[in-house]
Amino acid sequence: MNYAMALDYQNCINCKACEVACKEENGVQLGADKQRIWVGVTEGSIFGHPFVNLYPSQCNHCIDAPCVSVCPTHASHYIDGGIVMVDPTKCILCKGCMEACPYDARFVDDTIFAVDKCTFCHHRIDEYGTTACQATCPTKVRLFGDLDDENCDLVKLLKKRKFFFLKEGEKTVPKLFYLVPEDENFLLRSVGKDTKIHTWDEIKPIYDEAKAKRSKEWKRS
Amino acid sequence: MKVEISRRRFLQGSVALSVVGGTALGTSNILADTKTSEDNKIRPTKKTPTLCEMCVNKCALIAQVRNGVIKKLDPNPLFPKSKNMLCARGDAGIHALYDPDRLKYPLIRAGKRGDGKYRRASWDEAFEYIKEKMVKILDEEKDNRSCIGYCTGEGMAEPTYKEFMAEKFGSSNFINHASICLQTAISGYALTIGGYGMADLDNAKYIIMAGANRAEAILTPDTMDLFKRTRGRGAKLVVVDPRFTNTAIHADTYVPIKVGTDLAFVLALTYVVIKNRLYNREFVEKNFDNFNVYKLHILQQNYTPQWAEKITGVPAATIEKIAYDFMANAPESVYYQGRRSTWAATDFQLRRAQAIFSALGGGIDIKGGIVFGRKLPLDKEEINSPIYANAQERIEKNAAAIIGSSGSWIAWRNMVAQGNAPYPVRGLFVYKQNPMLSVPNTKKTKEMFEKLDLVVVIDTMPSDTAMMADVILPECTYLEREDPIKSFGGVEPAIVLRQKVINPMYETKPVLEIMKGLAKVLNDPLWKNTLKHDEDVQDDTKDMKPDELEKYRKENGFDLEDMYGANQEEMNKKSFVGKYGEEAWKELRSKGVFYPHMKEYFKQIDKNTFEYYPENKKSYSIDKLGEEADPDAYIHDTCINPKEISELRKFFKTPSKKIECYLGNLKKKGIDAMPTWREESYVKIPKGKFKFITGRHAQFTQDATQNNIMLLELMKENYAWINDKEAEKRGIKFGDEIEVTSKIGSVRIKAYPTPKIIPQTLFYIHGFGAKSTGLTFAHRNGASDNEIIEDRIEPVFGSAIMHDTIVDVRKV
Ligand code: SF4
Ligand code: SF4
Ligand code: SF4
Ligand code: SF4
Repeated sequence: MNYAMALDYQNCINCKACEVACKEENGVQLGADKQRIWVGVTEGSIFGHPFVNLYPSQCNHCIDAPCVSVCPTHASHYIDGGIVMVDPTKCILCKGCMEACPYDARFVDDTIFAVDKCTFCHHRIDEYGTTACQATCPTKVRLFGDLDDENCDLVKLLKKRKFFFLKEGEKTVPKLFYLVPEDENFLLRSVGKDTKIHTWDEIKPIYDEAKAKRSKEWKRS
Repeated sequence: MKVEISRRRFLQGSVALSVVGGTALGTSNILADTKTSEDNKIRPTKKTPTLCEMCVNKCALIAQVRNGVIKKLDPNPLFPKSKNMLCARGDAGIHALYDPDRLKYPLIRAGKRGDGKYRRASWDEAFEYIKEKMVKILDEEKDNRSCIGYCTGEGMAEPTYKEFMAEKFGSSNFINHASICLQTAISGYALTIGGYGMADLDNAKYIIMAGANRAEAILTPDTMDLFKRTRGRGAKLVVVDPRFTNTAIHADTYVPIKVGTDLAFVLALTYVVIKNRLYNREFVEKNFDNFNVYKLHILQQNYTPQWAEKITGVPAATIEKIAYDFMANAPESVYYQGRRSTWAATDFQLRRAQAIFSALGGGIDIKGGIVFGRKLPLDKEEINSPIYANAQERIEKNAAAIIGSSGSWIAWRNMVAQGNAPYPVRGLFVYKQNPMLSVPNTKKTKEMFEKLDLVVVIDTMPSDTAMMADVILPECTYLEREDPIKSFGGVEPAIVLRQKVINPMYETKPVLEIMKGLAKVLNDPLWKNTLKHDEDVQDDTKDMKPDELEKYRKENGFDLEDMYGANQEEMNKKSFVGKYGEEAWKELRSKGVFYPHMKEYFKQIDKNTFEYYPENKKSYSIDKLGEEADPDAYIHDTCINPKEISELRKFFKTPSKKIECYLGNLKKKGIDAMPTWREESYVKIPKGKFKFITGRHAQFTQDATQNNIMLLELMKENYAWINDKEAEKRGIKFGDEIEVTSKIGSVRIKAYPTPKIIPQTLFYIHGFGAKSTGLTFAHRNGASDNEIIEDRIEPVFGSAIMHDTIVDVRKV
């Protein structure tokens, strides 16, 4: 098992249902800056025409996760399916993981004195097969699934659509697959020139290899 | 441009709408016990399907309950209208239920009106208080039932309240939200193409969305349908708006337009289409009435794109192109109707022009156009309504050409406030509405309340309006009650049920119980009052013996308690099982949703996609436009009152049952029979000033969610959008406090300079700026729009003109 998520980010309307669903599902600390999930916004204008791009995002559950490597107490760890978790009882709030994470996916939960972050709603997987953020989304931006399961909706989708990653250069082997939009103009406007575009066939072996290297750490929760 | 992004950088940079504020509350989330892995293993013990009420859409949801506490609301995939989603507000519904500021028990005013001093009372005491005042007032007013007004916002329990006040109590002074919302759009479409219908955004190929903002004012299923098909995936989207909204970011073409000039834009589109004979000639031939008159009118008035460019600021070439593209895609093209809509005095004409323009392409009652769909019938209980001889007609009936059965808020309020109603209005019942924030010119609303001898507010929260009440009756929230069963028409019709998830907390009651309680205390005393003052009843009952009199009373509907069944559940069952049977009833209760063949039709395509009806079972077309007997069939949401539409249609007799270009009946009332641009009714913006506009936001529903801590995290207060160049000239920077002043009032609010709004235009969203000290979290966040919006009405329905107020802006 290798859990991942595809994001059809072009659908996002910045309604923030995903943020609220995540908070309610997971009892995330209240507060505007206490988010496991967020919508990145870039604004600008081209020849006087304004544009806004939205990038819904969360923890990438990187296969080669720097936050796990850096954690002195093993509070940050993997569980089954490669989900990156934090054990609050072991966390000493050294914040090394927050520094190490290229995606800024972690924050301090002041109510439990530990770092908190997205868990891919692992407690829901068996019952629902979806995360809370996926289920609630009006325009269905997200699709959660298992990269190892050729028959799951996620892999079927990734075989059809091209995708890219955020900050691929950090070499953390991230697992949020941003789907390349069909519309040329929107593609040009929302994806940087240097961003690599990938296909399933080309990325599959790379991800398998990365998994092979670190999956011995993926223990059952 | 780089796509590499960091969250915190965004948080700082993304001030667009959700401005990050210090809302981190010291308290932890009261539901936060799913945190430990131990807890996660104990799944909730009970799941109840019900319906959301955080806005008007009524999305189907499944509530998870553990130990009597609602832990989570999940989307219910079975409802074709809500398509397996809950928005931010829907998800945050738990915080409406567990809001610490909720009204918990009846309250009776202990200080001056508006000062917020109340004492706790029992239900009996509260009812008794109301009864005493009502009996005195009705005696003094000689049983003129209309001396007590009543108003309500939209909601599934609205009929429970409204029908009692109208049919049993017998007052004609009812006002709901229509005249501060979508009256002109609904009626404009109904009188032009026979119904408001719904835009088939699942199939339309070309959509003009002007002023409507489906990314931020979420409407199901439109929002979900549309944004999966934009950006080269089948639906071309043109957004016309003075603001670059979250809807505009998805547009193929964004057209900034000067506020209040949409009518000129549509007339010019029409001109291009008529002049170049681009319209669907066969459809026009068959379905239009008076097309030649309209054609001549448009050409003679010379509504050219060049003419419109000067008024609207939209380049003539853009107008030309949109007209051509629209017709090239027709009939699968839609000029989107819009909802909360009265922007300028000409709004009714604008909606008519839109409807006719859409129809010119033939996109009416057809897949991909504006569709009417089908509705699953329910049985309805007849109400035995008494006739009170002394009950007068509504006070503001002459305030506009047609004052419908839901009234004109502004005209009504002003008459009461200024004391120039034809007879005294002495009391007001308010249910689920907050006129202190929602009706333009708050000062006058306050004056109105100060004039009244009895104000009763039924609500869940101590709103600004509740603070004007003599008696506050606490309603339970939507998660604590069963509501009247509801059938939603459309392409994929279904029947849905709001069921009680947990018992009402504190001493709160559902409105049904509240109305029953009122009926009980008022029943005998008001009957005595009728006997005392009503000459018709006196004539009828002369020399009757007590038992005959009692029989007369019952037979003629004067028994106020005979309207409601034992409980809501039973009443719902009664209206359902006759048509669909006991088995279906069980299915509806356990699934929350029912439509015939649901088990067979409903399919999951993948984790995100569901099919509700096979394509050949969907109801795109009702074939014979306007000939369907049941006007209700056109109505797709609870904001639209089917009775009113059928009354309107009767009034106009829609003689041709066709697309009406010319409304002769209106002409007699001094209203243009055809959409016409009137330069004199357009409000110009003086140099250095701004036109104020208001709007919606995906994280709040008007002012109903203003105290919700979860939603306040997403947006703590509202900000005033001002064009960045104009702001710079005035030295206004992001976050600066500015003073916005109109003829009627002045507010202070923080500024958000942005290129996303055209010059001379100022915007902030509705629903903020509450002053009630009972609202801990909403108290004085930002500014309320209706403190500065002038109270003017359009001439057809008396709807509030929302976007014609000129304001001054000054840095504080
Ligand atoms: S719920 Fe979906 S559309 Fe809304 S902000 Fe999240 S990803 Fe975007
Ligand atoms: S903050 Fe906690 S989880 Fe992060 S590295 Fe330090 S101990 Fe590990
Ligand atoms: S997967 Fe679950 S924990 Fe992660 S962001 Fe989505 S809702 Fe939150
Ligand atoms: S749109 Fe949102 S608030 Fe409205 S009914 Fe649906 S979930 Fe509730």
